[in-house]
Amino acid sequence: MILTGPEIARQRDTGRITIDPFFPEQVNPNSYNFRLGPVLKVYTDEMLDVRRPNPAQELVIPETGLILKPDRIYLGSTVEVMGSDHYVPVIRARSGVARLGLFVHVTADLIDIGSVNQWTLQLHAVQPVRIYPGLLIGQVTFWTTQGDVTLYRGKYQGTRGPQESRIHEDFLAAGTAA
Amino acid sequence: MILTGPEIIRQREAGCISIEPFSCEQVNPNSYNYRLGPALRTHAGPVIDALGAHPLDETAIPAEGILLRPGCVYLGTTAERIGSTHYVPSLIGRSSLGRLGVYLQVSADLGNLGAIHHWTLEIVVCQAIRVYAGMTVGQVSFWTPSGDKCPYDGHFGEFSEAVTPYPSLLTSGC
Repeated sequence: MILTGPEIARQRDTGRITIDPFFPEQVNPNSYNFRLGPVLKVYTDEMLDVRRPNPAQELVIPETGLILKPDRIYLGSTVEVMGSDHYVPVIRARSGVARLGLFVHVTADLIDIGSVNQWTLQLHAVQPVRIYPGLLIGQVTFWTTQGDVTLYRGKYQGTRGPQESRIHEDFLAAGTAA
Repeated sequence: MILTGPEIIRQREAGCISIEPFSCEQVNPNSYNYRLGPALRTHAGPVIDALGAHPLDETAIPAEGILLRPGCVYLGTTAERIGSTHYVPSLIGRSSLGRLGVYLQVSADLGNLGAIHHWTLEIVVCQAIRVYAGMTVGQVSFWTPSGDKCPYDGHFGEFSEAVTPYPSLLTSGC
């Protein structure tokens, strides 16, 4: 089951959901609108390889905005620290953002239970689009679970700001890194 | 409701979920990490006709990996045979690949109850990227349904290789 907006607010009040900062006006009928943080990361190389670290540079989005181009993946983050040890979050774009051809995640909408972070957004523009810091860019929903809970203790836990992929660590662990 | 990782293990042991091969190391708090199968297929023609034939070229992914380029949809498969007659699967990419601009499906994340097979992945990339066979690429989650169940008699559930729809599937639905 999905939590309604009033239930998201209620569960946050009881400490079972973290959304910080939280503003009641950002609560929707069955989700909460989150904001885009001021920093982006973009990979310095055009050609990427999952088996090696892919260096990234930081971009600060000016108040006048920044144009995202279709041929790059941009990493942003939520302004809010969000998560729950009791419900599974799922994120998506607001439809108003999607109508501009902007993806806010790249087929990775499901958040692990217990992951409490400023979540990294995977921004991909279909056409050039200008974005601004603090945009109400996406929505988070919360879902009830079945079964015993093991909380997330993964490599992105506790992070702030956009985090580039650390998938090469899988290959290091397997001894097959580039 | 979504099944937690420990519940995915329990339901698989009870025979209500199929994931083969299975490794406990690939269990997440509320999903299971699946791996990329050994080959990719791409559309051979410059224009894909929804109701035409879809000739596909197949490439085995070599040990040194394969460079995926933007502007092309690559059809892969899961290394695992995955499905359930009791819980509805949803297949997505893992965030570590999303962070590199790799889509693992093209807005078709929902599986059918009862379809148990090697799932076709529709892989699209934002930037050129090298990937490898057998690597962990995505996550499958399982969701509890409400209501009577009907047996799965769909087209794609018969296949464990990457296939495209035949014309009537897109017009009459069967």
